[in-house]
Amino acid sequence: MELLKVENLSFSYPKQEKDTAPAGKVIEDLSFSVESGEFIVICGASGCGKTTLLRLLKRELSPHGIKTGEILFGGKRQEELTDREAACQIGFVLQNPENQIVTDKVWHELAFGLENMGMTSSEIRRKVAEMACYFGIDDWFRHKTSDLSGGQKQLVNLASVMAMDPKLLILDEPTSQLDPIAASTFINTLYKLNRELGLTIILTEHRLEEVFPIADRVLIMDKGRKLCMAEPREAGGLLRRQAPDHRMLQGFPSAMRIYQGLDPEEEVCPVTVREGRDFVERKYDNRIRSLNRPEAENDGKIAMRMKDICFRYEKNGDDILQNVHLTVRHGEMVSLLGGNGAGKSTLLQVIAGILHPYRGKIEVFGKRIERFRDSELYVRGLAFLPQNPQSVFLKMTVLEDYEEIRPVMGYSKEEFDRKVREIAAFLEIEDLLQRHPYDLSGGEQQKAAIGKILLREPRFLLLDEPTKGIDAWTKKRFGELLQKLKARGIGILMVTHDVEFAAAYSNRCGLFFDHEVLAMETPETFFCSNNYYTTAANRIARRQYDGVLLVEDVIELCRQNGSRQVRE
Amino acid sequence: MRGFQGYHPAILFLYYALLLLLSLLTMQPVLLLCSLFGAFLLYAALFGIREMLPDLVFYALLFVLLAVINPLVVHDGETVLFFLNGKAITKEAIAYGGAGSLVMITVVVWSACYTELLTTDKILFLFGKALPKLGLILSMTFRFIPLFQKQADRIGQVQRTMGLYNGKNLKQRFGGAYRTFDSLLTWSMENSIDTADAMKARGYGLRGRSSFSVFRFRLRDGKMLALMLLLSGIVLIGAGKGNMDFYFYPHLAEIETGAEAFVYYLAMLLLCCIPGFCEWKESLSWNYLKSKI
Amino acid sequence: MRTKSGNRWKKSLVLLAALAVLILFFGIFGKFETVDEFYLTHMEDITADTEVVRISINCKTILYNWSRLDKQLRDEKYVPANGVILPETAYVYRKGDTAFDLLERVCRYNRIEMEYRGATETGYGSAYIRGINYLNERSCGELSGWMFKVNGEFPGVGCSSVVLQPGDTVEWIYTCDLGRDVGNTYNGAGADYGK
Repeated sequence: MELLKVENLSFSYPKQEKDTAPAGKVIEDLSFSVESGEFIVICGASGCGKTTLLRLLKRELSPHGIKTGEILFGGKRQEELTDREAACQIGFVLQNPENQIVTDKVWHELAFGLENMGMTSSEIRRKVAEMACYFGIDDWFRHKTSDLSGGQKQLVNLASVMAMDPKLLILDEPTSQLDPIAASTFINTLYKLNRELGLTIILTEHRLEEVFPIADRVLIMDKGRKLCMAEPREAGGLLRRQAPDHRMLQGFPSAMRIYQGLDPEEEVCPVTVREGRDFVERKYDNRIRSLNRPEAENDGKIAMRMKDICFRYEKNGDDILQNVHLTVRHGEMVSLLGGNGAGKSTLLQVIAGILHPYRGKIEVFGKRIERFRDSELYVRGLAFLPQNPQSVFLKMTVLEDYEEIRPVMGYSKEEFDRKVREIAAFLEIEDLLQRHPYDLSGGEQQKAAIGKILLREPRFLLLDEPTKGIDAWTKKRFGELLQKLKARGIGILMVTHDVEFAAAYSNRCGLFFDHEVLAMETPETFFCSNNYYTTAANRIARRQYDGVLLVEDVIELCRQNGSRQVRE
Repeated sequence: MRGFQGYHPAILFLYYALLLLLSLLTMQPVLLLCSLFGAFLLYAALFGIREMLPDLVFYALLFVLLAVINPLVVHDGETVLFFLNGKAITKEAIAYGGAGSLVMITVVVWSACYTELLTTDKILFLFGKALPKLGLILSMTFRFIPLFQKQADRIGQVQRTMGLYNGKNLKQRFGGAYRTFDSLLTWSMENSIDTADAMKARGYGLRGRSSFSVFRFRLRDGKMLALMLLLSGIVLIGAGKGNMDFYFYPHLAEIETGAEAFVYYLAMLLLCCIPGFCEWKESLSWNYLKSKI
Repeated sequence: MRTKSGNRWKKSLVLLAALAVLILFFGIFGKFETVDEFYLTHMEDITADTEVVRISINCKTILYNWSRLDKQLRDEKYVPANGVILPETAYVYRKGDTAFDLLERVCRYNRIEMEYRGATETGYGSAYIRGINYLNERSCGELSGWMFKVNGEFPGVGCSSVVLQPGDTVEWIYTCDLGRDVGNTYNGAGADYGK
C-alpha cells in the first residue's frame, strides 16, 4: 500500500531583500512514493534540500515559501488532513537531541504528545509504561532530562514520538550529534521498529556505513533534485553513471567505495563489511600484502608535553585524569580516541589552561603553563576549538566576531583585513563573513570557528570532536585543511570518536581509557591491532592484507595484486 | 521510589506544612526536641551520617551563638547570673536564645530534607492541577535553567582561550559578562525555535489537551494520611489543653511531666520520626534482604 | 545542600569567628559584676536638715485588668496584693538627680528588678523604663507600660530629662490604657477620664 506520494514538488524560500543572489528553488520537481513499511534513507551533501523536504512532509513544520506540486499522505492531500491526523500520524525527530526536549522529566516528556492528544490519565499511563519498556528507559524513567547523555536524550525523543503511534516516522539526521556507540544503538532501534512493527521510516543520515545495509531504498538528492531512488546496492552504480565525481560518493559505505574504485564488471555491489570482505577475498589476489610506505619520522620541536597529570573536579571526587603522559610535536597530528565521558574533553581543557591539574607538569612550547600571564598563552600560541562551535561566536556576523581578535593581536586595520582575506580564501568562507553565525550549517560553523582561531596564528591546536555532524565530503576537505596546517608546522591534538577520520589524517593515535592515555602508536599499528575499534576498510581487508586502513589503500593493493587466478 | 519519598506528593506536602506549623508555633522544649530529632533522623537517612557531620557542627555553633547573643540583648528573667555593664544576664534569656535557635535549626533541617523529597515535578503536580498552562511553563523553565548554565560556562571558557575578556580591569570583565549574556540570549532564542518545532510536531495546540502525572493516591498513602492525622490530632488536643504553652520570662515555665502530657509527647515524637523511620527502614530491610541472598 | 566539603566547613568557621569576636569584645570591654556587687549601693542617711525627695512605685491598675495580665505574671511575687511595689519613701536628694537616677538608685537599693533603655538607645534622647519588677511594657494588654508623675503632674518628657528639686515627689505608675486609666490627659486622650 502506498503511504506517501510526492508529486512534482517544488519549493523556494521567499526572496529576502538583503540577498543579492536570486532565490533559487530549494526543491525542484521532485516525485517519489513510499510504500507502507518501507525504510527510506535520503542522502545528499549539506544544503541539497533534504531538511527542507522532510519539513515539507510534516505539515506543522513546513517552512514558509512558495510550494507547488502535491504531497499525498495515505491517499489524502496534505492540506485535507485534520489537525489531529497531521500531528499524530506523522512523527518527526529533529537533529539536535537537546533542543527537542520540552519538559524537565523523562516521564513528562513521554507523556507530552499524549497530553496534547487529550488522552485520559489511565490511557497515558499505559502508553508511557509500554514505551518506557520497549525502549529500555524504565530505569531512568523518573530522571531529569538534563541529566541524560546525548544518546539517551535522542532515545527519549524517539520514544515520545512513538508513543503517539505514528504511521510514518521522519528523522532528520538524528545521530549527527551522537557518539558512534550511541548512534549505532539508535539506528538499531530504528531497524527494530521497522522490522517488528512495520513502521514506515524516512531518514536522512551522514553515517551511510550503518544505514545503507538496513535501508529498503535510498533517495539521493542533489541541489533540490532527485538524482536517483533505488535499492542501496544499485544506488551507487546509478549515481556514478550520472555523476562520476559526485561528492556524495565519498560518504558511501567502504565496501561500496572499494567496489566502485575497482569498478569490476558483472559483480553485485557489496554493501556490508561482510559482503565487502567476501568480494575482496574472492576476487583479488594477495601476493603483495602491504603497501610500501616510507616511515615518516617526526623529530620536530616539542609543542606540548605533559607529565604525570592528575585532575579531579572535586576534592573527594574520583580522578578524571590519572598520571597522564602525552607529547605533541610541531607539525604532527595526534588523535585521542576513547569512550564517551572518559575524560578526553577534560584533558583538552586542562591543556588549554581552562582547568588546573592538582599534580603534574604541563609545558607548552617548553614553558610551564602556569608561567604564562593573561592572554600570553593564547596569542600566537595555543588555540582550542570546542565541541560546540556556537560558543565561539558572540556577535551578529562572522566578520564582526573576527574583529574581536584585532585588539588582542594588535593588528592594524589593513593588516587585519589582509589576514581575514587570506584566511577566508584558505578556508573558502568568503561568502560566509557577512552572515549570522547561527544561520550557518554545522560544517560552515566549524570552518568559521577555525577561521577565528587561525587569526590568532596559533602554533598548537586543540580540537574537540571537530567532525561531529559534518558530511563525508566536508570532512575530507577539513582533513586536507588540517594537513595544510600541519605542513605549516602547527602541532595538532584532536579528541575524536571518528575512527575513519583519525586513521586518515593522524600521525599518531592513542586510546584514552581508565583515566589515562594508553597505546600511542602510528595509525597503522594502532588500528590494525584493534579488532573492533578500527575502520571499516580495515575490517574488510584485514585477513587479506596488512596495515591497510583506508578505502584508497585497499583499492591500491587490489589493483597491484590484480584479479585472483582461478587455481585448479 | 521507595521510603518516605515514595508517598503521594500531597501527603509529603501536608506533612511538611503540618510540621512547620507545629515547629513554628511552639517553643515547648520537649516538642521542639522531638521535631529536631525527627528532622535529623531524616537528614541522616537521606544524605548519610558522614555527610551530616559538618552541618551538625554548624548547627551546634549556631545554637551556642544565639544562646550567647540573646541575653546580651534581652535582660528579662528573674534568675540573674551576673551583671554585664550594668545589665542583667539571666538564665531565662539564655534559655530563650537556645530555644529560638532550635526552632530555626529545626525549620532549616526540615526544609533541607524537603528540597530532596519534594522535587520540582511533585511541586508541579501539586500546583499544576489548578493551572495546567502554568505547569507546562514551569516544567519547561526547570528544563531550561541547567541548559542555560551549561552554555554560559562553555562560552566563558572558550572566550578565555580566545584571549578575550580575561583582563584584570573591571570594564573588560563587565564587557565580557555582557557579551556572554547577549550571546546566550541569541543562543537560547535560536534553540527555542527547535523546541517550538518539536512541540508543534507532537501536536501541541490540538484541542482538549489533558494533563498527566505519574503520581497516584494509593492505599498506603491513605494509611499514612490516617496515621498523620491521628498523631497530629493528639498533639493538637494537647495543645488545646495548654500542654504546648511554654514561656521563658520572667521565669521558665515548668515542663509538664504527667502521664497525660507524656502521651502528647509520644505522639509528637512518633509524628516527627515517620519520614526518617520510613527511609531508614527501607535501607535496613534492603540490607537485610541482601544479606539473605 | 551538597557542595564541596571545603565549603561545608567554611560556614562553621564563620560562626566560630563571630563567637570568638564576641567573647573577646566583652572580655576586654565588659564590666562583670556578681549580683551582690551590682546591688551593693550606698544610701546616705537622712538627718534633720538633709534635703529629700520621695518616690513610690505601684501597679494598682493591673488589679482591675487581671485577665489581661500575662499568665506567667499572675503571682504575688510580681503583683503585690495591694498593687504597691514600693510605698512612698523619702531618700536623700543628690544634686542634679533626674527622675531616672532616683529610680535606678532606689531599685538597686531595694533589689527591685528594673529594665530600661538608655537615653542613647531611644529615639527621643531620654531613658525609657521598659519594666519594673518583671512587669514590662505590654505585659498587661497592648496599651500597658510604666509612666511617672512628678508632684502629681505628668511631665510629658522622658524620665532622664526631668531634673528633680528637693522636696519633689515621684510616683511610678503602671498603666493598662496608655495613661488614661491613671489620669494622664497629656496624650491628648481621655480628658473625661480625670480623677
